Amino acid sequence: MAKALNDTFGIKRAIKHFDFSEPYWECTRQKKLVIQYCKTTGKYQHFPRPVSIFTGKRRDIEWREVSGKGVVFSYTIAHRGTPLFRGTEPYAVANVTLDVGVNFIANLINCTVEEIKVGMKVKPHWHPLEDGTHLLMFQPDKDPA
Amino acid sequence: MALRDNAIVAYAETKVMEKSDRDVFVLAGEMLEALLDETGTDKNEIDGLVMAGLTGTGAANPFWAQTTADVLGLEVGFCEQVHTGGCSAAGCVARAAAAIDYGMCEVAFLLFADTHVLEDRTDHSHSYRREWTDPYGLMGPPGAFGLLSRAYEAKYGLDYRMLGKLAVTQRNHALMNENACEKLRVPITIDDYMNSRMIADPIRLLDCVMRADGAAGLMMMSRKRAREKGLTKCIIPIGYAERTNFKGGENLVDVTKSGHEICGRKALGAAGLGINDIASFHPYDDFIIAIMLQLEAFGFCRPGEGVRFIRDHDFSYSGDLPLNTGGGQISAGQAACSSHNLVEAVRQLRGEGGKRQVMDTRNALVTGIGWINYGRNWGSSAALVLVPE
Repeated sequence: MAKALNDTFGIKRAIKHFDFSEPYWECTRQKKLVIQYCKTTGKYQHFPRPVSIFTGKRRDIEWREVSGKGVVFSYTIAHRGTPLFRGTEPYAVANVTLDVGVNFIANLINCTVEEIKVGMKVKPHWHPLEDGTHLLMFQPDKDPA
Repeated sequence: MALRDNAIVAYAETKVMEKSDRDVFVLAGEMLEALLDETGTDKNEIDGLVMAGLTGTGAANPFWAQTTADVLGLEVGFCEQVHTGGCSAAGCVARAAAAIDYGMCEVAFLLFADTHVLEDRTDHSHSYRREWTDPYGLMGPPGAFGLLSRAYEAKYGLDYRMLGKLAVTQRNHALMNENACEKLRVPITIDDYMNSRMIADPIRLLDCVMRADGAAGLMMMSRKRAREKGLTKCIIPIGYAERTNFKGGENLVDVTKSGHEICGRKALGAAGLGINDIASFHPYDDFIIAIMLQLEAFGFCRPGEGVRFIRDHDFSYSGDLPLNTGGGQISAGQAACSSHNLVEAVRQLRGEGGKRQVMDTRNALVTGIGWINYGRNWGSSAALVLVPE
């Protein structure tokens, strides 16, 4: 029998933002995923930084909207949650390589333990938070390519 | 003057405790007293205090080293806290040697005292965790090593029973170490390892280090001064390197590779040794797989061959590559600012390993791993090569 994973929707999350990642959170209000892009090197970076990690310059950073589609690079099944998540185990946390070449760690939902595989295609799921922003999660992408 | 002109002239260590029954400053005082007694040194000769920044109890106090100097009545020309996480202990040796070389101090007291079970003031909130991992319930180091282990498994395959072999070897060493935490001094088998409950699948309970309280200390001075004082059981650092934020200016990296590749080459190069010359190995162990990744990174075997290497070698104190002969942190307890494996290497090279004494005491390789970064492996790597005088 497939092992059920908790979608963690019931967790009350109050996230304190860094000022330099605020553009990310603002865009999630419209369920838009933006990732930092370095204008000089043409590369994306995540998590958000106050500078380009490639050049060290603040002025090189801009935000670009991306699809949020990617593949599972790695995953772990939490059987012992953090204090806030205790009682919701087991749940999945995946490190997903987005199609623009950054890794993004998030909960993986709408699948069983048996279905999760490194390399599987995933797409975004936006989970609403109380402050009007959304939390990016991932779910299996079964759409034809 | 150079690194190898300096000597570790003495070590001290408390028993590792599940929870300390005395204040961290009492533990610090015990280390000071033991080192003074052992070396016949007057308190006023100590003019350097070098402490690991990896402290839970002192984490909220920006004046921790100064506070400690004050509590112990030490007047020093060099007062330092080393902030490379689990690399701090080895980092203290290198920085003390540099300070002695530079003339900032002559006799350094290296202090690794922490009671992070009794009183933990650690706060990770001003970091990526608050936005990018805490909202997803990724549990700190076990979660990060769960992701790392699965990525390794996907790339190379992973026979978890061989990780179990390392866990059993370390546990057997802890059984012979009276300073190891009593709670952990229980025999285990590979089946016990495999059947231990999942924490962050594929990380099991017996993969994980257990936080514990305790202290250790070292005394360092120039070899010249050690000779003048008639101290003969000296341990010499002959190679050291550290790397923080390996490939930190890149985006997608191979998480099975770490700064240890660089540290190993540099430290062994300075020591004039090849990896196959290493007589005993004392790798940082917060999770069992970290040991295997280091076997690969330092070149004991090629990348992806860690499992085969573990299968083919005997890592017990009497084996062909003695490893963490005090039990490692995983079987002795993560105490004393993660200095346990360093102190054990010093003990072994002095021939004071008791019933777990290694045969070959020509040298020892000690390593560090510090901090957990976002979706990679770890923040700092360190390597220290020691030889007896």
